[in-house]
Amino acid sequence: MAHDELFSRMAQAVIDGEKERAVELAQEALRLEIPPLEAINKGYIVGIQKVGELFEKGDFFLPELVMGAEAMQAALAVLEPELQKRQEVRERLGTAVAGTVEGDIHEIGKRLVCTMLVANGFDVLDLGPDVAAETFIEKVRELKPDLLLLSALMTTTMPEQKEVIEALKEAGLRRKVKVMVGGAAVTPSWAQEIGADGYAENAIGAVEVAKGLVEAF
Amino acid sequence: MPAPPYKMWEILERARTGPFCEDEPFIMERFMPQLKAVIRKYGIEYDPATPVPSDDHLADALWRAGLEFFLEVGVLCVDTHRIITFEEGEVKEALYLVPGEYLVGSGKDARLLKHRPVEDTNPPFVIFSPDITCDEELFSPLSIAYLKEPLADGVCAPILEESMGLKIKAQTPTELAGSIEHAMSLRQAAKLVGRPGIFLVAAGTAESDIAQISISHSDWGVRTSDSRLVGALTELKIDNALLNKVAHYQQFGCFAGSLTGPIYGGYAGRAEGTAILQVAYHLMGLLVHQAHYQMNFPFHIHYTSNSSRELLWVISASHQAIARNSKLISFSNGFLNAGPATEMVLYEAAAHALASTVSGANLWEAAVAHNKYKNRATPLEARMAAEVGHACAHMNLTREGANELVQKIVAKYEERVADAPLGSLFSECYDVAKAVPRKEYLDLYARVKDDLIEMGLEFPY
Repeated sequence: MAHDELFSRMAQAVIDGEKERAVELAQEALRLEIPPLEAINKGYIVGIQKVGELFEKGDFFLPELVMGAEAMQAALAVLEPELQKRQEVRERLGTAVAGTVEGDIHEIGKRLVCTMLVANGFDVLDLGPDVAAETFIEKVRELKPDLLLLSALMTTTMPEQKEVIEALKEAGLRRKVKVMVGGAAVTPSWAQEIGADGYAENAIGAVEVAKGLVEAF
Repeated sequence: MPAPPYKMWEILERARTGPFCEDEPFIMERFMPQLKAVIRKYGIEYDPATPVPSDDHLADALWRAGLEFFLEVGVLCVDTHRIITFEEGEVKEALYLVPGEYLVGSGKDARLLKHRPVEDTNPPFVIFSPDITCDEELFSPLSIAYLKEPLADGVCAPILEESMGLKIKAQTPTELAGSIEHAMSLRQAAKLVGRPGIFLVAAGTAESDIAQISISHSDWGVRTSDSRLVGALTELKIDNALLNKVAHYQQFGCFAGSLTGPIYGGYAGRAEGTAILQVAYHLMGLLVHQAHYQMNFPFHIHYTSNSSRELLWVISASHQAIARNSKLISFSNGFLNAGPATEMVLYEAAAHALASTVSGANLWEAAVAHNKYKNRATPLEARMAAEVGHACAHMNLTREGANELVQKIVAKYEERVADAPLGSLFSECYDVAKAVPRKEYLDLYARVKDDLIEMGLEFPY
């Protein structure tokens, strides 16, 4: 199989959300001694970017996004050891830590944002829902991400976004990370009021805001 | 027939003893593949040309698909990672025992809340609800404005963000204070307008279990003739705090409502999956929430609304499925794109009410401006939905007739869903002190109503 055809199949496996096929193709790439970075960039990244585009156009929804991301992650797991052997590193736009704030158990919006960021070249650690301020602080200190994403669905949990930002200040970390806030009840004025660096209405907007913040950082 | 609870303690115990499952595999390996399988097995297909379908086979197939899906997947308790599962016989027994009607509210303000069949000629029970947050000083005027509405059979008040000037934070004393303020002020507002026994659903400010429990009081708080809601987590999940509400509502003795909003474009995928999930949520509401009625708001993942063509199909098809195959009492909650004092929001309210009413739903109206903006809702949006719901029953509208009308109404706004106008604040289109709408909005309302009459809608007055 020509390399280009293989790359195209890799992309298609991600678009189709076919995890097993994505893994088989990664194994095939290793057998053919294709440089793993080339397989990732010309195959899987192309696929996940297409998934993101289709989501933006409204042709794809969360299931396709999640399945596509899972297929890509499974393929990367096959290729990463070879990458390490070669001491090569994947190019990333930035790193992010994300979570829904303490007291709030909603997470579908945050998941969408995280998946879209991954599709667009970010490395994202999703801490899940109901995350305490101290956990966010701990992770920012440990991982030194470019971005901290705080989600809150309810008006009664929005104040916790402010408290995390205050806790960052107290820990001396506020200037070391850009903070984005979002969630159903969150508005641009709230983001401004609590001193967040970025806000987006939805997952598509969040990618643009994240790119802008990382570039400016 | 006895009302819920149905085997409550046996079912609640399954949240501790059911099969173990983590969140991720529950969705990825159980929920999503099973949903895909039943869509295929039952041949469920969305047709954009008929936002209000009139195919009984489709409705019944949706019901069977929803039942099978619910039995296969169950409900995950995210605190214990246990799946609450059911035998088919239990579901059928619980459905058999549903009484189909309740007398809600009290005294002269009591109303009969009933199951509605498809194309019912009785008007829907209408709960007027702004579904948004408001400034503390606007809580009473807003509540009074909604309570003044003649077609309101019940009222659910706005949600407080502050109490005594303090920002309310979930699961802290401020939430308890805000919840008590909410319940007391709403009760007082009902008395002031002369409807002391009206059916109240309260208190939206009480998000947590402890806050809900703190407002159960037959004098100043939520009474046994009133109701409160218990929600679900996305999708088909629950936690211990929600189960605490389930137990408390039954033991206190008020009416319990199951609050669910399947996400179109979320894990359920498109219209077909969202409609099946709607059916499954009704079963979850009956068996896990132990609810006397279901209140549902399927919504679009990008727009947080349900007045677009595909969501109207979800609402109509799923309510027909439920209405034809059970005696469950269901409310359809309008989520509209545009904001108050716009033509668009009134047309959206009309389309939502028509699709819901003819399909066997009662009405819960209306979250407007994407349900996002503080102080941005008024009773006139709900009034339009209520009037259209009554018109639909009054003129014995068939599903075919409703479909024709909905097509015409949707054409008025469907191109503008993504950039719908946010409209005005309550204080801009209402005289706040008197809690009555200003002339400009009333004139706009009259123009839209006239246009609906032109289209063929026959209002009872």
